[in-house]
Amino acid sequence: MKRLRPASSRWTGWLLVARPGALRSAQQQPVSLTLRRQQSTSTATAPASYNTQLDGTDHDRFPPLEPLPPSATSLPSPLPERALRSAKLAALHARLSLPKKLPLQTLARTLVDASADENPKFNNANLAFVGQTLINYHIAEWIMVRYPRLPMAIIWAAMLAYTGPAPLHQVARSWGIESAAVPGGEVDPGLLQYSLEKPGTAIRGFGYKREELDFIDKYKFRQSINSGVIFDDDYGNLIRENAQRQRQEEQDAMDANYDESIEPDHMSYGNEATRSLAENAHANFTRAVVGAIYAHCGRDAVKAFIKSHIMSRTLDFSKLFEFKNPTRELNMLCEREDFDPPIARMLSETGRLSRTPVYVVGIFSGNDKLGEAVGPSLDMARLKAAMNSLKSWYLYSPGGNARLPSDMLAPEARPWQPAYIDIGEVVAR
Amino acid sequence: MEAQLIRRPAAATCCTLLSNSTSSATANRLLVVRTTTPTANTRQKSTAARARRALAIPPHPSFLGSPTSSSDRIIFNPPASEASVFHTPYKFLPKSDPRRRVSLPDMFGSATTTKAGTSTTTPSLDASKLPVVKKWAFNTKPHHLTLEDVHEIRRLRAEDPVENTVAKVASRYNCTKLFVMMCSESSREHRDKMRAELEAKRARWGPIRAAAKAARKQRFDMLMRGEL
Repeated sequence: MKRLRPASSRWTGWLLVARPGALRSAQQQPVSLTLRRQQSTSTATAPASYNTQLDGTDHDRFPPLEPLPPSATSLPSPLPERALRSAKLAALHARLSLPKKLPLQTLARTLVDASADENPKFNNANLAFVGQTLINYHIAEWIMVRYPRLPMAIIWAAMLAYTGPAPLHQVARSWGIESAAVPGGEVDPGLLQYSLEKPGTAIRGFGYKREELDFIDKYKFRQSINSGVIFDDDYGNLIRENAQRQRQEEQDAMDANYDESIEPDHMSYGNEATRSLAENAHANFTRAVVGAIYAHCGRDAVKAFIKSHIMSRTLDFSKLFEFKNPTRELNMLCEREDFDPPIARMLSETGRLSRTPVYVVGIFSGNDKLGEAVGPSLDMARLKAAMNSLKSWYLYSPGGNARLPSDMLAPEARPWQPAYIDIGEVVAR
Repeated sequence: MEAQLIRRPAAATCCTLLSNSTSSATANRLLVVRTTTPTANTRQKSTAARARRALAIPPHPSFLGSPTSSSDRIIFNPPASEASVFHTPYKFLPKSDPRRRVSLPDMFGSATTTKAGTSTTTPSLDASKLPVVKKWAFNTKPHHLTLEDVHEIRRLRAEDPVENTVAKVASRYNCTKLFVMMCSESSREHRDKMRAELEAKRARWGPIRAAAKAARKQRFDMLMRGEL
């Protein structure tokens, strides 16, 4: 859909150098793990009693369920070596049938949201960015090859329905992910950790900030679809300068308006803001798992994973449409394609003089029927038939087995035959 | 006494008897609608046994199965359903689609691509014999107005928008109201006045009418979203 980096390029920077020694066993490197945490703890060589004072827990009286490292309670997220002893992580690894190449430590890192641990070496922000890129690329090319005539607005809606936060949140829930009440170094590494107090960093996708953004907000400028393809993100939403700051402002405004006397019980079960934070955290975890599979197992494994977990979800594309002037749009389509002008003809009717008549109206171009519909009045049936005709135009599919561009990356792929590409939208919006 | 419209077949027979036997004064009171075949509309039977026998419809052949085979069989008798929008009409298939090359037009019942008499399974449909629901206004674009006409329309609308309403100008120049509105713009005062008039009209609606109008709008929006 938009600019996409080639999947074969080498990922550099934080992504692959992150968590050096993640595979090393805990017995070999207990000291260095503590030392790497220097930026989050003020003194690396603090005694165990110091930590007891830090979080106010008397560990002599309330011993932890598993023997924790001395600095565990003062860390923002669990130590990587604890991933090897977590039953939840092992169960998740087995449940998802993840390849053996993907270590438990990386899987543990995908569960740490940026709001729980700000350090990009220990949270899942980078993996989630890679995962988001891969998911969006594969879903976008699949939608475009499968339904080549879809209008851009419908493609955006379908992208949101497959790769947006809501469906990915559902995917994570279906994997049986549980979340920790409060993130911290002492929680089980198999729990999803995110903070409800601070929003964390938002993943930047592709897109540009528009220069006229302030005027768009002020004067309600209309944006064309074409400019949205170039500037906006994968769902046609405007790129804000700082989505995180905006979310924080919204949160502050919500807090300012919140009146404790009105709904005291409502807050205890969460509200709109906490639900959105949870949704984003779950979605980022799903993306991070995809990114982790790519980083450790490569292109083919990640494609198979996306196909089986995200592409396999059901979406009725015919429900995404909303028309304004279906008869005019159909007429423009027939004019553009050099078909005979469409005419609505009645196929059958019953109960014209009754309280509940039924009309079956078909739209004909010449002698060919383009679509038909049932309605309680002639006008409704006609409009519905026109909409059905337009939908059957837009939902043309070359078939489920059409080859995708990414299929060519496989070794010994057959020569590429160009996919069907439509000339464009019927109505410029 | 007012004339009554009677449509029930039983009443029709008795009214026929009435009009035959009595004078014309009695016949004036009743307006009888006769169908071409009165017996075809008769639903009731004279006896209960006959009614039961008439209502005993034999099951669909798919449910019966052949008497010779005693093995399992598939019952296929789906209810009538709407045509799926995922079945692309033949006309909408692109030139490169392999479905065009196969001789599928018979399946789609297209007369433009089928030679007359070749399709044996499905009789080809003659669309021109079906009644037209509504001629779409934009099917016929005469494009008969010249630049002078457009200037004249503009002048008329600017001169006296109250007297020369959009509908009047459109009927005078034999074009659509949309075209008149496209080529001429009334003054802001006139538009504000019209809008205020409309608002005053709406303000006089009672709760029942307002609710009915809102429901109608909601129904139309649902139709446009494909929810109806």
